[in-house]
Amino acid sequence: MIRRFLERRRFLRDHRFAHARLSDYIEQELPPSEHRRVEEHVGICPQCRRVLATLKRTLRDLRSLPAESRPGVADAVIDRLRKS
Amino acid sequence: MTSEAKLVERSRAGDRASFEELIRRYADRLYAVVLRFVADGDEAEEVTQEAFLRAWRSIDRFEGRSQFFTWLYRIGINEAKRRAQRRPLAGTIVSIEEVPIDDAPDWSSVPESRVEQADMRLALERAVRTLPPDYRAPLVLRDVEGLSTRDAAEVMGLGEAAFKSRLHRARLAVRRALDEYFVEAEGS
Repeated sequence: MIRRFLERRRFLRDHRFAHARLSDYIEQELPPSEHRRVEEHVGICPQCRRVLATLKRTLRDLRSLPAESRPGVADAVIDRLRKS
Repeated sequence: MTSEAKLVERSRAGDRASFEELIRRYADRLYAVVLRFVADGDEAEEVTQEAFLRAWRSIDRFEGRSQFFTWLYRIGINEAKRRAQRRPLAGTIVSIEEVPIDDAPDWSSVPESRVEQADMRLALERAVRTLPPDYRAPLVLRDVEGLSTRDAAEVMGLGEAAFKSRLHRARLAVRRALDEYFVEAEGS
């Protein structure tokens, strides 16, 4: 019973640790020991696995959002500068 | 092509033609960024103009410790945020709550083409737009515009650790908003 309690406590600690570092994990910016800790937790936590997968997808989709453009923005700025 | 440093140096000496070249290089990019903070294209164009005018008036104070465009973006985003504060809030501000929705589907493998579909792209755009501006800016600069962490943190005037923490929370909030979108889509 004590062992199960300790395991649960460790799981929750790793859960919070991993959740706070998923961006750094995706971008490979964690020190090796932290990277390993997140990886191990994600391996046994279905919720973190789903958040990680959908976070990766969110980043891909954000990067594919098109930049809105409007013709003549630079010319309008230059006109205003010349009149100022 | 003249280097940015040269154009900035000449602009600092009062050469308007060099500053106009900087405008040609950065106006479209700045417009695309500020558009994510203001009501519409007209306001984004006004903010873009205002930002360049302010930059021109104070370019002698630009010391070149940062890149010109990070300085310019900072002026533009501050101006856009200032205007947004004057406007009543539209819609619901997306929660910065990080807790995922337990019964949301795993939508990570829906076909890429879904993003091009109007509804999912709109959900994503809406989620970004309803982030509080201090969280929206890191996400727009880093993830939509593709700036490096260092440059984007510099635009925000934040240290890299503080910037990354804010960026992560913003990403989680947008991810969670998409959870909500897919839960709703499944239920309808």
